[in-house]
Amino acid sequence: MMVSLPPTGPRLTPEQVQQTRFPPSRLGRRGLDENEIRAFRDRVEQELVMLSNEKASLAHEVERLRHRLLTGAPDDGQSADFRPDGSHVQAVQILAQAQQTADRYVYDAQEYCRELTQDARRARDEIVTEARANAASVLDQAHRDASRAAAAVPPSAEPLSTGERQRVQAELAYLRTFSDVCRTHLRAYLEALARNVEEWERAEKASLSSLPPDLPAGLPGMP
Amino acid sequence: MDTDRLKENFAQVARYGDEVALFFYSDLFLRAPQARALFPVSMSAQRDRLLGALVKIVSEVDSLDTLVPFLRGLGRDHRKFGTIAEHYDAVGASLLVTLAHYSGSMWTSELAADWKAAYALIAQTMIEAAREDEDQHPPWWDAAVITHERRAFDIATFRVATLQPLPYAAGQSVAIEFDECPRTWRFYSMANAPRADGTMDFHVRMVDGGALSSALTRRLRPGSRLRLGPAVGGLTLDRSGRDILMVAGSTGLAPLKAILEEVATLGSPPRVNLFFGARTADGLYDLPDLEKMSAEWRWLSITHAVSHDFGDRSYGGERGAIPDVVARHGLWRGHDAYICGSSAMVQATAERLASAGLPNDQIHVEDFGWSR
Repeated sequence: MMVSLPPTGPRLTPEQVQQTRFPPSRLGRRGLDENEIRAFRDRVEQELVMLSNEKASLAHEVERLRHRLLTGAPDDGQSADFRPDGSHVQAVQILAQAQQTADRYVYDAQEYCRELTQDARRARDEIVTEARANAASVLDQAHRDASRAAAAVPPSAEPLSTGERQRVQAELAYLRTFSDVCRTHLRAYLEALARNVEEWERAEKASLSSLPPDLPAGLPGMP
Repeated sequence: MDTDRLKENFAQVARYGDEVALFFYSDLFLRAPQARALFPVSMSAQRDRLLGALVKIVSEVDSLDTLVPFLRGLGRDHRKFGTIAEHYDAVGASLLVTLAHYSGSMWTSELAADWKAAYALIAQTMIEAAREDEDQHPPWWDAAVITHERRAFDIATFRVATLQPLPYAAGQSVAIEFDECPRTWRFYSMANAPRADGTMDFHVRMVDGGALSSALTRRLRPGSRLRLGPAVGGLTLDRSGRDILMVAGSTGLAPLKAILEEVATLGSPPRVNLFFGARTADGLYDLPDLEKMSAEWRWLSITHAVSHDFGDRSYGGERGAIPDVVARHGLWRGHDAYICGSSAMVQATAERLASAGLPNDQIHVEDFGWSR
């Protein structure tokens, strides 16, 4: 499909119309009204501006179609050399902005998740380290108490008592005391640990419910 | 086709970095809206991957020996994303529009024609490889979880069975997708040499903030469905006959364990020294299994180490960063070294061994390149 363009040659330009001067009307005779001439001149100028704009865009369109015919290039917002036109670039930029917003949301959610996990890891390391230290001190304490208890076993009044029996009784006292102390400490420690874990769970729930409510559904990265 | 001109033009465009990929994908989704569903919500990682692949392609445009296998792999690999031949046209148009836009006044119709021809070759190579692959393999493998075991609070192992056999070599990896994180594929190594029943083991460690690794560690159950991509990766057994040094950081153990199983099938296995390192003792999640293996296989000896012991006086292994521990035990010249773990750990260990005189071609590391 071809569009025929007007023949080229000297053409009236808006500037030429602007520079046109009408001689003044002769005295005593009715001449043309100068205001009307001015108004007409402005209209002609406007008209020509519009015409030359339309012509430029038509010529552009023709060139694009001609290229398309010649090269068979696809026509989707770009010319045959793939240079995108302004409106297409604008559409791309709007979509790009939307994508960046989505990326930001996902990134924030992932960062938040990462911090939670790191906190959990740190809390766990602290608890384990503390538990180890506690266990060591409980054992030491139990050993000290039990040794005292063993040393304090009174000499038996029984006639059949022997050195061997004495030793066994001391050993028995040691073990009893040792296990008592361990049990007491262990129970106290486990209770403290359970309280710790509950507190931690509460904190996690509280922080999760304070997440912004407008996060898109089905975001990856959330636990 | 003037490849120097293409390289020069690409270098010019690539200076805009992430913006270029952002423009490309936005143009593509305007052109082919149905393609959007093939990608995850967040596109940041995807853009890095695209730029990485483009840089690799353009830099190797003159060395077809390496470029063609790369493109063929890329074409096969894209089948699991649901890519079909028609998508390639839209991608080509978006690529050229993006290049034109960022080239500004440098863009000429000659450049446009050269890029168009270059892209046609790239697309053809990828499409052909994908088509040939269709005759042999499904686009992805549907798999079901058989067992899932939480080994530490942040580490799990699981076993899957696939509906169709998935061919692989010990030490290779597959990309995994889980329904809970659609369109997110991450590579995991099989932790066993191929078995007759086709089941495969994986080791997963929760990456802080990592959506898929968290889901695989915490929420996978027997019966969960996964999709697996084709096996990739070059960390496989080099049958050189040399003795072997293996260095595993945490779940980097998986491919090395698979290679161990392959070594066990050799007529006269070489001596293997495996170093297994983790931050803390419970990061050594697979020690019982490894100790069983070393009891059974006299050629295998195992050293384990932690870098942080948190006052654990009962831990009976070595202490220190794994490259230091390995270096304490010898120079390892004359060995084949296999290293897998975090990139920092792999790099530090490889550098340490190289500076101790181990030739580079005897140091085998996992390299996921652009795809990771």
